[in-house]
Amino acid sequence: MRPENYQAISHPPSNEYELNFGPNHPGIEGNYALKVKLHGDVVVAARADGGYLHRGFEKLMEGRLWIQNIALVPRICVPDPVPMEVCYSMAVEALNDMEVPERAQWLRVLQLELSRIAAHLFTFGGHAATTGMYTTMYWGVADRDQILDLFEEWTGGRVYHIYNIPGGVRRDIPAGFLDRVSHTMDYIESRLPDYDNLFFTNQVFVDRARDTGPMNQQQALEWGVTGPNLRATGLAFDVRRDDPYLVYDQIDFDIPTEAPGDAWARTLVRRQELKQSIHIVRQVVEKLPSVSGPVRTRIPNPLAWNVPPGETYTRVESSKGELGYYVVSDGGDKPHRVHVRGPSSMHAVQVLEQLAVGARLEDVAQIMFSLDACPPEVDR
Amino acid sequence: MSKKVTPWLDNLLQEIEGIEIRRKDSRRVRIDIAADSLPTLLELLRGRAGYVHLSAITCVDWIDESQFELVYQLWSYESQSLVSAHIRIARDPGVYVSVFDLYQPAAFFERDIHEMFGVYFEGSPDMSKFILTEWNGPPPMRKEFDAEAWVNETFERKEYQPDWLKEITEQGGGIVKSPEEARQKKP
Repeated sequence: MRPENYQAISHPPSNEYELNFGPNHPGIEGNYALKVKLHGDVVVAARADGGYLHRGFEKLMEGRLWIQNIALVPRICVPDPVPMEVCYSMAVEALNDMEVPERAQWLRVLQLELSRIAAHLFTFGGHAATTGMYTTMYWGVADRDQILDLFEEWTGGRVYHIYNIPGGVRRDIPAGFLDRVSHTMDYIESRLPDYDNLFFTNQVFVDRARDTGPMNQQQALEWGVTGPNLRATGLAFDVRRDDPYLVYDQIDFDIPTEAPGDAWARTLVRRQELKQSIHIVRQVVEKLPSVSGPVRTRIPNPLAWNVPPGETYTRVESSKGELGYYVVSDGGDKPHRVHVRGPSSMHAVQVLEQLAVGARLEDVAQIMFSLDACPPEVDR
Repeated sequence: MSKKVTPWLDNLLQEIEGIEIRRKDSRRVRIDIAADSLPTLLELLRGRAGYVHLSAITCVDWIDESQFELVYQLWSYESQSLVSAHIRIARDPGVYVSVFDLYQPAAFFERDIHEMFGVYFEGSPDMSKFILTEWNGPPPMRKEFDAEAWVNETFERKEYQPDWLKEITEQGGGIVKSPEEARQKKP
């Protein structure tokens, strides 16, 4: 540039600057980004930026047979895929007015709770890593692997099981499997005091997480917060108990709550849920031998399955919150419309944008992990 | 605790024009209503019946009838029941009002529907792109949008023949048989 063409750019005097946080950042869960405006290291504004994981699931599902979509849905949330399969299957069953055999319902509960334990262990690891405690992450991932081993033996797949199909489940459990489930539950329960010492009562974590990203119950209800994040504000709501599905009304479990609504409370709620899930799994293990019968009901030829016209909205409690599927059939062999309402579509966008304001930059990742946001649910 | 919309509310709702209430079971109520009356209905449900949680807004494209259906799923923590309110709007021009002032979660769903179906919500806080930031084509979730046809029109198909593969093929490695050849039975 010639010197005569140079014009100084005039900025309004400001100490604020913008920073792209993600999509490739160790503190971000999945491929997701935040555009944050900072004053010093305090966030004054945040904008969520999604779309990096968009695979067009809802459009793809409209072009595939009802049964083919089973292979597609678990991919919508990688750490916790089972609720996706169950919720979609429940929707198709509701449209067909189909009864699921009791044994299949218990098996589904077993899958859901094992998946919840695995997802929570994963989240603890991620959350601990954002506060610099990498050991918890290694432990969490290693212990989650014990559950993935169970899934592998049971369904053939470690992460995506494609096990729950409309009408029931694909097959029964292998011989001696329940013993191994009990053994793994004993192992994970025996690890909980170690986790408490390492992470949950660790002064570094407590000091960092307390009063970080706080929200009260009023705000949580306004923002559409669900799941453990809502329970961390003191409201004992759980789809499993309050809008029961499968056989959850026959199972005894508590709904842990905490009052403060900050990152610390949200993580403590998950810590207690882990214990409740182990408790549920033990009940299922005890109950399953006495429930005999088939594991799936007869379905029409899946390659020429015309589902009766209708619409339905089914919900389950995933490890992140309320997961909903709105499914419409026009009487054809493919869905007319499938809408996935992931809990993270609230948590990772509006809630995160609000909670990040006022936090320090190093706490933004922690807030995201404490909300247990799952970006693929947002992008779909 | 009542598991239904309370009777007095039922009576109140009956006064709204063009409303049809159907109970699917003790926890599910379906309401079909004229598009103009929906904000009134939501205000009643939220303010007087405790339906404070907007679970989802879904858009369904009924291309044969040239209509969009918008479905609002509302949950009440008190009566533990789910109301789904259904409205139909014209596909063209595809404009409706935002319910953000009643339900804040609506912002995300309305933005998503605007992006995927091209329905504009007046009064929604943000109608900018979120997921399809670099997309200039038509709203992809509309039924007339054929993803495969779009790919065929937009992109060229190319033979994959890098140099390193050619060398290997010449030496007898790589893909030496075409799929058609491989499928043929041996004599």
